[in-house]
Amino acid sequence: MTFRVRRHRGDTALGTLAVLALGLYALFIIVPVIMSAWKSLTNENPLLAQASFVGTANYTDMIHDDALAASLAFTLVMAGAVTIAANAAGIGFALLLNRTSLSFRMMRTVAFLPQVLSGVIVGFVWRYILAQDGILNQLLVAAGIIDAPITWLGSPRLAMFSVGLVAAWVLTGFTTVVHLAALQSVPVEMYQAAMVDGAGPWQRFRRITLPMVAPGTTISVTISLITMLKLYDIIAALTSGGPADATQSTALYIVRLAFTDDRFGYASAVAMLLLVVSAAIALSVTSLLRRREVDL
Amino acid sequence: MRHNRLLAASLAAGLALLAGCSAASPDGAQDGSTTLTYLTFETPSLTASFWDTSIANAQKQVQGVTIKKLVAPSTDRDSYAKQLQASGQFPDLLQSITPSTFVQAGLLKPYDQTWVDANFLLPKGNAYKGNVYIPPTNSQIIPMVFYNKTLFAKAGISAPPKTWADFMADCAKLKTAGITPLELGGGDPFAASMPLTGILSADVLGKQPNWLQDRYANKVKFTDANIKTAVAKYRALAKNGYFEDGALGVKYADSITNFTSGKAAMYMMGSWFLGSVPKDHAADFGAFMTPTDDGSLVVPFAVGGSMAISAKTAAPDKATAFAEAWSLDPANYKVLIEGDGAFPMLKGKTLDDYHVDVTQVFKDSYAYVQNQNTKVSAFGWATNDDAMPSGLNNAYYAASQALYNSDDIAGEMAKLDAAWDKATK
Amino acid sequence: MTAPASTLRRRTGEPITPARHRGRRPWAARGHLAAVALLTLAFVSPIYLTIVNAFKTQDQIIRNPSAPPAPPTVHNIGDALARTDKIIQIGLTNSAVTVVASLLLVIPLGAAFSFWLTRKPARLRRIILAVFAAGLMIPPAVVLLPTIRILTFLHLDHTYAGLILSNVGGGYLSFAVFVYSGFLRSVPREIVEAAAMDGAGMLRIWWTIVMPLLRPATATVAIFLSLWIWNDFMNPQFILGPLHGQTITTGLYLSLGQYSTNYAQLFGVMFLAAVIPVAGYLAVQQQFIAGLTTGATK
Repeated sequence: MTFRVRRHRGDTALGTLAVLALGLYALFIIVPVIMSAWKSLTNENPLLAQASFVGTANYTDMIHDDALAASLAFTLVMAGAVTIAANAAGIGFALLLNRTSLSFRMMRTVAFLPQVLSGVIVGFVWRYILAQDGILNQLLVAAGIIDAPITWLGSPRLAMFSVGLVAAWVLTGFTTVVHLAALQSVPVEMYQAAMVDGAGPWQRFRRITLPMVAPGTTISVTISLITMLKLYDIIAALTSGGPADATQSTALYIVRLAFTDDRFGYASAVAMLLLVVSAAIALSVTSLLRRREVDL
Repeated sequence: MRHNRLLAASLAAGLALLAGCSAASPDGAQDGSTTLTYLTFETPSLTASFWDTSIANAQKQVQGVTIKKLVAPSTDRDSYAKQLQASGQFPDLLQSITPSTFVQAGLLKPYDQTWVDANFLLPKGNAYKGNVYIPPTNSQIIPMVFYNKTLFAKAGISAPPKTWADFMADCAKLKTAGITPLELGGGDPFAASMPLTGILSADVLGKQPNWLQDRYANKVKFTDANIKTAVAKYRALAKNGYFEDGALGVKYADSITNFTSGKAAMYMMGSWFLGSVPKDHAADFGAFMTPTDDGSLVVPFAVGGSMAISAKTAAPDKATAFAEAWSLDPANYKVLIEGDGAFPMLKGKTLDDYHVDVTQVFKDSYAYVQNQNTKVSAFGWATNDDAMPSGLNNAYYAASQALYNSDDIAGEMAKLDAAWDKATK
Repeated sequence: MTAPASTLRRRTGEPITPARHRGRRPWAARGHLAAVALLTLAFVSPIYLTIVNAFKTQDQIIRNPSAPPAPPTVHNIGDALARTDKIIQIGLTNSAVTVVASLLLVIPLGAAFSFWLTRKPARLRRIILAVFAAGLMIPPAVVLLPTIRILTFLHLDHTYAGLILSNVGGGYLSFAVFVYSGFLRSVPREIVEAAAMDGAGMLRIWWTIVMPLLRPATATVAIFLSLWIWNDFMNPQFILGPLHGQTITTGLYLSLGQYSTNYAQLFGVMFLAAVIPVAGYLAVQQQFIAGLTTGATK
């Protein structure tokens, strides 16, 4: 904006509001990140009177921390697997729901519901469903698919799978609606032209649908990844990170280090690690997808 | 201009809500009285109404005190107390926490020893470094092995096992008879650790009662052969399929109902389970101690039962007065004995003095407390000088859960040693 | 993000999928509808369970968890409301206060800031937006501990004011700024310039001219932030803590742990906690989906 206007009293007022917003953001995002970075170089512990500077000791400690390695691996695998599953399911579900009649619009409305519930409720409902004598086991046994109940939440591996299942369920509500919106912006003429050219269903999907929904996919994948890297509430209610810490996401681990083990300094170092990992993943995946949007 | 006013009004409303924010809260302080926060926890037997009633009763005896009850989200009140402390809201009173960590940080205030000596049978039963931070109002055996007599009879077992070999043989007999030998609420970490706690108490503490203090002194380690042998016994129980299927997915509360409804023959749990023994068929249930190799009796024992007082409380006199009133209130003893299987430790009283209606298995279990026998500090439960360092309990519970599925005993024990060294560094 | 509402309008237009196009008979369409309906039902069955079991007795739930409540009972709802700790009433009130106060601050601040930003050089704008993008990406666990420290320093620790302030300054503000900035690109610059020529101040232009144009963006921000703040768990759990009552989410978490086996009570409490966000969503779902749509097709 190159034009000049007279300065006006209201300009300062608007500027004040803007500076207030900027100030609050700095106070609750930027300053905390800097504080975390600083604390990560100390051995601060609320039970000790004095914290001292320990250099990079917390960071070298992380190398030998099996619990950290396990929680980071769990978080990353979960983020990857659930993002892929939820987006594949979302595209599929969106293709099925892509009609304009009232019943399809109603189903679209309903499909988003898992996103509306808080993670705590989601966790508790699924804990009931996945329990040893829960409804899922009852149904599977009654249908003759399994002979004995499966311990969905009781063995480390299955509990990891269950957390992924529940997270994917929640995210699919979101990915479906985003992809559906993207699908409905595809001009029908493109399909008509492709059919005239003799393109089959798969070719139409590959050559028209996927490229046209790509911007939606970018958003949907990015948000899925960010959600998974932060995941806390669903796990807290579903497994509390157990059994044997198998489903302890890095977010849960940070909270435990800080608020149960009283290791503020170390918790801050792990927080910095999660920050860097999240940023690197979110930025690289977004730019990758953006580039693919053009190629497709 | 009208719009400007609207903007101003909306910002003002936001700020007013922000500043004045009289958000709803269950109860506020009444005029002129001191409000003290009291951290409690709920279990199937220590319900919300028990805490409300017992708080109301003790409050009546202390002038000018209003108690604000906080409830820990799980039975792990130590973690929650630390969470509150770390986020700057350490309560004034804390029910049944493990004092050691908090004492080291100067957060707890000891009770007057003459008051403790005057009222309790084992005044130094849970003293930490010579001071009492939680009145020893009652005692517990952690764990006992509870068993279902009907199911034992069905499997052709006439008497509870004396030695570990008997115990394993009985498990095998039960399994052959199509009965699940052991109930386990493995979905809650503390409950998952009960069998291991029983075995370690019997095998290790029975021979080396000062094992935990020796561990502090670095004279022993979790990777020592005797510990690994004991852990292997637990591993064998899991491997042989003696626990119910999917035990790590069973919540503690469900494990109680599973066992009382006859879904499994035995249940290793703290003596508080006595409060959950169904009154209508109490005669079905018996209890014994975790068997040792040679059949000698070891009783894993812990004393405590009341609340610790914060050293930072604004009203130490009132907090102490409330805590002492609560600790001596006969009504609480009745509820705790009947509902939570607590063994009372007040001086000069017998069971009859509390006017309680208890089961035979309670009386039999109480005899272990009253008789002369080998009592050791319950592993991971005692809050005296044998208490584990901060954070170790959680590591120990996680190891118990991991060993349910994993054969890597040496690896898990090495992790515990590392966690211990880190916690005490 | 050019034309927020245009994609919505498409729905009423021509049939837009090839499947509907030609060569399909009505029964095929009906079969498709039935199959998709079944799939949708299976997908939302956990929500169905929450609703039906809230109106069944413990006995009915154990006997057949998926059956409809016949006869229905309102006992669980009554029990949940009659709890001595009043977790439902208190939680709903506190959550509502937190959401409303946070929105009343985030919306004007976010919108004013975004408008102010359009009047800055493009490079500065890009840098500031990049910094705000971080707010969307940073896991809350990372800034939790320092946030508590800062609030303690301000003597706002464990207060609603502190929780609301940290909501206003945190990632939610980033979201608002992004939505508003996207929409502001479609506001013709000439409108602002013309008003400025007439001598109107920027505050007035923003409030009387720009804000009404941004109404769809405000709807999007208000709807999504209400939902997120309402459902937020970690911040109320640690920043607010238990001393001043619970929000509905933390209250639920603290109280449900005890109900592991009392399913009737469990579902009663969960139903009451879920009914407000679900009803709110159903009431404004048009705008809700419009908000997502603009995001997906910008």
